[in-house]
Amino acid sequence: MSRLIPLVLLAAGLLPVNLIAADGKAAAAPAVAANGAAVPGDLGPPQGEPIHALLGVPPHVPPPIHRNYPAKVIVELEVIEKEMPISEGVTYTYWTFGGTVPGSFIRVRQGDTVEFHLKNAPDNKMPHNIDLHGVTGPGGGAASSFTAPGHESQFTFKALNAGLYVYHCATAPVGMHVANGMYGLILIEPPEGLSTVDHEYYVMQGDFYTTGKYREKGHQPFDMDAAIAERPTYVLFNGREGALTGDHALSAKVGETVRLFVGNGGPNLVSSFHVIGEIFDKVYYEGGTHAQENVQTTLIPAGGAMMAEFRVDVPGTYVLVDHSIFRAFNKGALGMLKVEGPTNKAIYSGKEVDSVYLGDRAGDNLHAVAVAAKANASGTLSKEEQVKAGQQLFEGTCSVCHQGSGEGMAGVFPPLAKSDYLAKLAKEKLISIPLHGLTGAITVNGKDYNSVMPPMAQLTDDEVANILTYVLNSWGNPGGQVSKEEVGKVRAQPAAAGGEAH
Amino acid sequence: MRFAVFLGAMLGGVAAMAADYVPLPGGTFNSVLPADGQNAPARIAPFAMRAEPVTNAEYLAFVRTHTAWSKDQVPALFADGAYLSHWAGALSLGDAVLADQPVTEVSWFAARAYCEGEDARLPTWYEWEVAAAADAHRTDARADPAWRQSVLDWYGRPSSAPLAPVGGAANVYGLRDLNGLVWEWVDDFNALLVSADSREQNGADKARFCGAAALTLQQKENYATLMRVAMLSALKASDTTRNLGFRCVRSL
Amino acid sequence: MKRWFLCLLLLVFASGAFGGNALPGDSVYQFNAPLVDQDGHAWHWADRRGHVQIVSMFYTSCTMVCPLIVDTMKITAQAAAEKNDARLGLLLVSFDLARDTAGVLHGYALRRGLSPAQWTLARADVDDTRKIAAMLGLQYRQLPDGDFNHSSELVLLDAEGRIVARTNVIGRVDAEFVHAVRKALAEK
Repeated sequence: MSRLIPLVLLAAGLLPVNLIAADGKAAAAPAVAANGAAVPGDLGPPQGEPIHALLGVPPHVPPPIHRNYPAKVIVELEVIEKEMPISEGVTYTYWTFGGTVPGSFIRVRQGDTVEFHLKNAPDNKMPHNIDLHGVTGPGGGAASSFTAPGHESQFTFKALNAGLYVYHCATAPVGMHVANGMYGLILIEPPEGLSTVDHEYYVMQGDFYTTGKYREKGHQPFDMDAAIAERPTYVLFNGREGALTGDHALSAKVGETVRLFVGNGGPNLVSSFHVIGEIFDKVYYEGGTHAQENVQTTLIPAGGAMMAEFRVDVPGTYVLVDHSIFRAFNKGALGMLKVEGPTNKAIYSGKEVDSVYLGDRAGDNLHAVAVAAKANASGTLSKEEQVKAGQQLFEGTCSVCHQGSGEGMAGVFPPLAKSDYLAKLAKEKLISIPLHGLTGAITVNGKDYNSVMPPMAQLTDDEVANILTYVLNSWGNPGGQVSKEEVGKVRAQPAAAGGEAH
Repeated sequence: MRFAVFLGAMLGGVAAMAADYVPLPGGTFNSVLPADGQNAPARIAPFAMRAEPVTNAEYLAFVRTHTAWSKDQVPALFADGAYLSHWAGALSLGDAVLADQPVTEVSWFAARAYCEGEDARLPTWYEWEVAAAADAHRTDARADPAWRQSVLDWYGRPSSAPLAPVGGAANVYGLRDLNGLVWEWVDDFNALLVSADSREQNGADKARFCGAAALTLQQKENYATLMRVAMLSALKASDTTRNLGFRCVRSL
Repeated sequence: MKRWFLCLLLLVFASGAFGGNALPGDSVYQFNAPLVDQDGHAWHWADRRGHVQIVSMFYTSCTMVCPLIVDTMKITAQAAAEKNDARLGLLLVSFDLARDTAGVLHGYALRRGLSPAQWTLARADVDDTRKIAAMLGLQYRQLPDGDFNHSSELVLLDAEGRIVARTNVIGRVDAEFVHAVRKALAEK
């Protein structure tokens, strides 16, 4: 399809011929001549034994292709419908290419003949197909690959255009299939290959629509009305909140080069992709042939992709975000690249970016929270478990302002450590602070504060109970325990006005 | 053991004969697939529909008397390799398969043959659609978001758990399990003409489909029903799947 | 001429040249529908065993694609075999049971110059028509005004009734399909 545009432009005399030639530089002349083929990008008939393509499981990609001839490449991709966590304690029924969101990463060489097998797993309920943006032909293979559950379709195409392309399901309703995670990337390497880098990673953004609110616990069904209104509940990298944070963060060492293959599955949003603290040395914008240099933020359209290359010089944690920034901090569009190695004060003075920027979305390391939630459900939650879970949640949600040490920030964020204010507070009032927020003048440990704490409405009753129990039992505070029932009672009451008056 | 199997067959046979058919009035109906591809309503003659999908026990009784439809005898033309693959044997269900679960892994040819044996036929899409548009109190509940959500909830559940037995809540006609248990064959599944690439709009490819071109998914708000159309149009007549069963109707 | 050939074919069957062999499981002759041709003669679907055939479905009052289907079958047959080569059968089954009587089919064949040596225009009953379409993987749907929506494809059956090729290229010769026809004729 993309081939069509240059041809039309050329016909209309709008495109300088040398641009086409530049595109065709890779299309080594001998192969074309041998074949007599006039199709640019066609490097002749496949040679050698057919190759079974290795597929990349996100965030990893298959190794680079070191091949100097066009081959027949067999790709086998299975569609799997399955329930997976979308956030801590929240599950969603995903429809996937290969069992992951995004789908398996496909890597072939320009000129390769790709024999594509699309399998629809027997347990699936839905028919599916695939539209590869890297295919030149009507529908990108969609009509040839319409497949009922328990069946397989096969079609063949020649990879004529080098580049990074999105693939997705195009079965009705298309938006729903895409919103459920049916997208991935196919890289068509130019014949000379890509430059050598130390790490290659695969990241894809997508927006998700659930009937429940952001982080509302339990299984959340797809919400078609929200999808049509383009009001996502989640905006995520690699299909799950925390897919690229904590233990799952991408990694590199100081002095190494990194290439990110980043796609945007949509279905609706355009991504303003940015890595906090890093400048992309090169961005092959829109997944095409040309690179822009020294880029801070790059747009990735829904159904589009880009390749970014950069060298990491300073150790620390770099945060991948959609710089439409509420998506990052309130809908989950956060990932991390952890860079290890010696500091280089000449380039950067130090001080970690972690906690401040990550805010309450740091992590996937919420194991203690999960344990507590389970214990709570079965009625066996101990104070120790509450404290442990509360600490995890505190570090995610509260430490941004009150600091991990509970010391706060003088004049701005009141301390929670050895807090005389907390000590004299009625339990009900204590509970209402995270639930309803606190605005106005207060005095803590002899210092005056007058600021705004917003309500933390996204926290569930047991999460609030755990956080407060942790606070009461830390940093020299008087101790005590808050139950989720007590939180539930306060939540049901109308918000009280803040300030010393109460 | 032998005796139990024999008894089972007897019971199956009884069940098949006793299959409960419920009359529906027919009339005009605004289908998600307009009769003329534009907006003409469907006209449906009165018919009677099986209250429940055909069960494993009922289908087993049929196969015992029509052994050409056993999985070891059926030609590939009429059923693909997965036909009744969940059954333990050609003429036995085995322990993993419940007698009152809806039969699945059956092809269109097989479903048709079964219905003929019951002096009935497969429903047309319009017959199936009008029957499934009802809820417990109304004959057409499609405008109710709750009805739509209940249909969608089933799509959203992965089918890793075993199928429930037939006998869910009855709709206003007394029909059960139309939504939320299995997909069901319709006689004219190969008349739905939904383009395999659903983005092709009217007339995009006239040569492939004569006349008014491929039906495209018109009322996009009816996507819950249209997803069933998409499923049916993905099938070949010999295809079987784990979530695809059938029920029969009779003309009145 | 054609009937004579069929009789001969039946004799060949009866003599055991084919009759002794079991049909392949995926042969469309596993189903033996009764049909009526443009001369009003009754025959059975599986009578065509032993014959390479290009099959499609149509209706005579169709003005858009059906004439093209007929033309495409014609030029495909000419590209693949000698003119009126009786080894290659061309079969069109109508889905317009209300209008396409044997007489109408006959008139249509005459008008379009479809030689009975090679062409059969046929109809079956309602039930079997849907079944034939299902076997061939063709779709059709009647519209309120009596016309039909239908898929336009040519299906190639080998001598044993297996679907060995199909094409939705209409209005010109599909070289791959022609190649398949030649191959099927050579294997017969």
